[in-house]
Amino acid sequence: MLNETKSGQKIVIMLGIGITTLVVVTLAYYILADPSIELFDLISIPIILIIVLTSSYIIYDRVKNIKRGLPAQDERLKLAGYKAGYYGFVAAIWSAVGSNMGSIILIDQELRGGLVTAAVVLVSGIVFMISYFYFSRKGE
Amino acid sequence: MKNRIKEFRARYDLTQEDLAKKVKVRRETIVFLEKGKYNPSLKMAYEVAKALNTTIDDLFVFEY
Repeated sequence: MLNETKSGQKIVIMLGIGITTLVVVTLAYYILADPSIELFDLISIPIILIIVLTSSYIIYDRVKNIKRGLPAQDERLKLAGYKAGYYGFVAAIWSAVGSNMGSIILIDQELRGGLVTAAVVLVSGIVFMISYFYFSRKGE
Repeated sequence: MKNRIKEFRARYDLTQEDLAKKVKVRRETIVFLEKGKYNPSLKMAYEVAKALNTTIDDLFVFEY
């Protein structure tokens, strides 16, 4: 009653595994295809790896609960996800503005569109993950 | 909000995991409920009360 159906949970987990695998494959392909790695790549790759590892942990945690006969997600975790999503959204907006502003202040140069997009994805992703873990461990 | 979940759980000799399975929530949610660190929805409160053969009024102590 309080959770999704078991087949729904399995579909979400399978999708999670698929997306995580695709991210890892894309990252590996990107590193292998381009021999000249810039400073930004060096910073962004570990962040992407952190996001992938955290996602893998969440998937593992859900599978573990299903195996024990418990739901992968309940109303408390859903609320944590909604709250974390809100913070991730706010972080996305501020990182879009802040990354360009910071770049102008620090190196007196505007960032390329691709770099701004990357900053938005990485910052909002990290903020979402941290908030999700914080709220899911805090209780309310 | 205080509650008597632990007391009722002991009465029926249920572990936190047993209760979680009955209510279909994760074990951590039961832990947070017992500690008063999570206010459940009306639906969850009803499910917990039903699993412990009691009523919401008996299980949860509202403080004004």
